[in-house]
Amino acid sequence: MNSKPLRSHAQPLVVYALLLLGVVIVIVPLMWAAAASFTPNHKVFEYAYPFSWRALFPVDFTLEAYDNLFDRGFGRAVGNTFFLAIATVIIGGAVNALAGFAFGRFEFRGKNALFLTIVMLTFMVPVDLTAIPRYILVNSFGWINTWQGLLIPGLANSLVIFLFRQFFAEIPQELIDAARVDGATWLRVLVSIILPISKPVLVAAALLMFISQWNAFFWPLLIAPTKEMRVVQVEISLAIGQYGTVWNELLAGSMIAAIVPILLVIPFQRYYVQAITGTGLE
Amino acid sequence: MMRARQQIIPYLFLLPALLLLVVFNLMPTIATLFESMFVISLRSGERVFAGFANYNRIFNDPIFWKSFQVTVVFSLLVNPIQIALALGLAVLINQRAPGIGIFRSIYLLPIAVSLNVTAIVWGLMLDQNSGMINGILLQLGIPRQPFLHSVDQALWSIIVIASWIGVPLWSLFILAGLQNIPPPVLEAAKIDGANAWQSFTKITLPLLRRVLAFVLVADTVANFLMFAPILLLTSGGPRLSTNLIMYETYRRGFLYGDLGASAAMLSVMLVIVFIIVGIELYALRGRD
Repeated sequence: MNSKPLRSHAQPLVVYALLLLGVVIVIVPLMWAAAASFTPNHKVFEYAYPFSWRALFPVDFTLEAYDNLFDRGFGRAVGNTFFLAIATVIIGGAVNALAGFAFGRFEFRGKNALFLTIVMLTFMVPVDLTAIPRYILVNSFGWINTWQGLLIPGLANSLVIFLFRQFFAEIPQELIDAARVDGATWLRVLVSIILPISKPVLVAAALLMFISQWNAFFWPLLIAPTKEMRVVQVEISLAIGQYGTVWNELLAGSMIAAIVPILLVIPFQRYYVQAITGTGLE
Repeated sequence: MMRARQQIIPYLFLLPALLLLVVFNLMPTIATLFESMFVISLRSGERVFAGFANYNRIFNDPIFWKSFQVTVVFSLLVNPIQIALALGLAVLINQRAPGIGIFRSIYLLPIAVSLNVTAIVWGLMLDQNSGMINGILLQLGIPRQPFLHSVDQALWSIIVIASWIGVPLWSLFILAGLQNIPPPVLEAAKIDGANAWQSFTKITLPLLRRVLAFVLVADTVANFLMFAPILLLTSGGPRLSTNLIMYETYRRGFLYGDLGASAAMLSVMLVIVFIIVGIELYALRGRD
């Protein structure tokens, strides 16, 4: 009984101390990388070794790294990646929403078998493990170094189909019945009744598809290694060897690669967390 | 007539997605196993049936076994570390403390950042000459460490890099599991005189069993495929100490053009992934 008030005072302190320790581990690498990307190259490590707080702020501010990076054509990679991620969200979103609608709202022969053998199975096999035959296949289509090769194999996404299926299955039947009585086609029901009330799943699916395409690395590295087709993640990975010791440019590229998904996740974090954890707990 | 049309509609809606999944995911899965029976050259494009020759080659290859061993050691270290820390982090951010929302947002940052960026930033921070970690050690009076350049420390460095994303990521799943526990259950335990530790081990942990099992499998599979930090930072070295199996398949297949050996290794990995996922499905079957 004695220890009770003591514990209730000590506990929050311990909690905050541990939370702050975690924040330091998360924030310090990002702050240093951001600060160093705005620093002249010969000073990138100046305050890191020996360490001083100046390492975390751009005390010798310059845009030199970003200027040089874009002079080398980094803008092309940024444009490529944006185009690819947006195309994936739009086309992949349509493809996966249709499939989620069929699985979530229809009864038809073979439904469970199709779901288990195709959607579940492809969900369980990590795509990187099957990259070689996919590469050979895409090569036989003549799609190496093309948009088709980068885009099409990643459009259908079993995780996103899961998300849509779960959400659509919970929409009240009356809404759909009313529209059907009025003679609306199923496609019309989907587009004008269901999608307008499906904002949470649409945001979650769009975030998931955009960010996983933005951060994709292994497949673009195999399929589109040439300068014109490179995406951001491949560009920065090749920069390590290529530019030798131009650390500030390497970090500037990394910061551009990092800031886009961060800016998307922060305002929509609730949806993003749901998108990530939604399937694991079923 | 109407009925027949009705029947065809769900199949039409499924067609694009299922066709894409079959062509680009399911067929390559089967083809990986198939491809491992062929010898094929990336350069000439010739493809010759080779039976189990590729398997024979990799199973008699000390580099493959070394890579397998490194991967097993890596898995046995990184998975328990990440899950223990993720559990701790989830419990922390599940506290009802003022400002907790800000902390949760900050812990989301690593999840949004790619493994490449993480590897690049941490690679520079772990630089043996002038990296920030050595800069901090210097202030603490600890001698410079070689990190990624040392046989003893390189794998640990990769574990740190992978965990910077992995711990916050898996903590999200565990947090969701914690929030599914009805508060009355924990209150009842408190009334019965259980202290915080007892109610955590006797009530919370058993109720998290399903979530933890899922996280264990998903984390194991994800780390089993660890690739980008190896490609970017160590190329499998020094002295093969970080030559994880996914990197070895890439090195064989795409750097040396030996797709047959690479497909054989990927087939072995595929079988291992199936076993891991199969155990999960078996363990979780029918329970709630």
